[in-house]
Amino acid sequence: MPSSPAEPRPQPSARRARPDRPDLDPRGPRFGAAITAVLLLVVVFLSLTGASVAAFVLLTILAALFAWGAFAGAGRHPYGVLFKTVVRPRLGPPTALEKAAPPTFAQGVGLLVTVTGVVLGLAGLTPAVGVAAGVAFVAAFLNAVFDYCLGCQLYLLLVRAGILGRGPTPLAGS
Amino acid sequence: MSSTSALILVLVLVSGTTVLGLFWRSRQGRPIVVNPAAPEALGVPDALTPADVSSRVPFGANATLVQFSTSHCARCPGTQVLLAGLARSRPGVAHLDVDLTHRRDLANRFGILQTPTTLILDGTGQVRARIGGVPNRAGVLRQLDDLTGSSHAQFAR
Repeated sequence: MPSSPAEPRPQPSARRARPDRPDLDPRGPRFGAAITAVLLLVVVFLSLTGASVAAFVLLTILAALFAWGAFAGAGRHPYGVLFKTVVRPRLGPPTALEKAAPPTFAQGVGLLVTVTGVVLGLAGLTPAVGVAAGVAFVAAFLNAVFDYCLGCQLYLLLVRAGILGRGPTPLAGS
Repeated sequence: MSSTSALILVLVLVSGTTVLGLFWRSRQGRPIVVNPAAPEALGVPDALTPADVSSRVPFGANATLVQFSTSHCARCPGTQVLLAGLARSRPGVAHLDVDLTHRRDLANRFGILQTPTTLILDGTGQVRARIGGVPNRAGVLRQLDDLTGSSHAQFAR
């Protein structure tokens, strides 16, 4: 079997050389996404029943949590810490670890969507709070239940549009 | 809106998302066989060479698994391990992992919409199948057995 032994990446990325955030148990981000999905659904319900102040406040809290994950890294998110201290000791060891960059990028996507809802809500467009929560719910639910990685998809589309990945140093999980 | 109708709408949202997820999952990882008569459908030339994907690793004599990844792809490292193992289990099969993070040209050329995406090439570099998402192990092995002309049942698991 003379297949190539080590399969070096044709384009070794600079990211590998720099100190990265520690790798994560892939179940951690999915655990967090499940909690987020439930809370986003509550925002949708509150918004639909006309409890717009409560919906707005909860979405603002969720946006702040997304900001935490996006800027501090998915591993230091409160749900990540909860997972590490309470849930993971009760589970078997993970089959593999994953890089922190993809779920951290996904937190940034969630931040963008929820902040849009918060800003539009502040501007008086109250239904936008429920709509933004609904959009973010779809992504969080697909992530939690189906292990779907919206960030992987979006990141590639941004690369293709020429917005990301042009320079020699990649944007490491902003 | 009354709580009842709000609750119904919430349930519609949950079930709609579930259907979307099931549909997505049913399409993930299955090799889509490329019609040899119409390789242009993929936007690729008749046969690829290692230079086309900026690879210094030579293609396999029987088949090559070309994996496209990015640095922000959660499932790519696992796919890398899976495909490298499958390539080793069959004679003359190479696996290479192309990082698209800084290769917008390659992403556009091959029309990659998600990572990982894997192309299965035959010994001449012709694209024979394309897989979106984490590849299905049995599906890849079937393709490789077709291309290597072997059926190593003992390796099938």
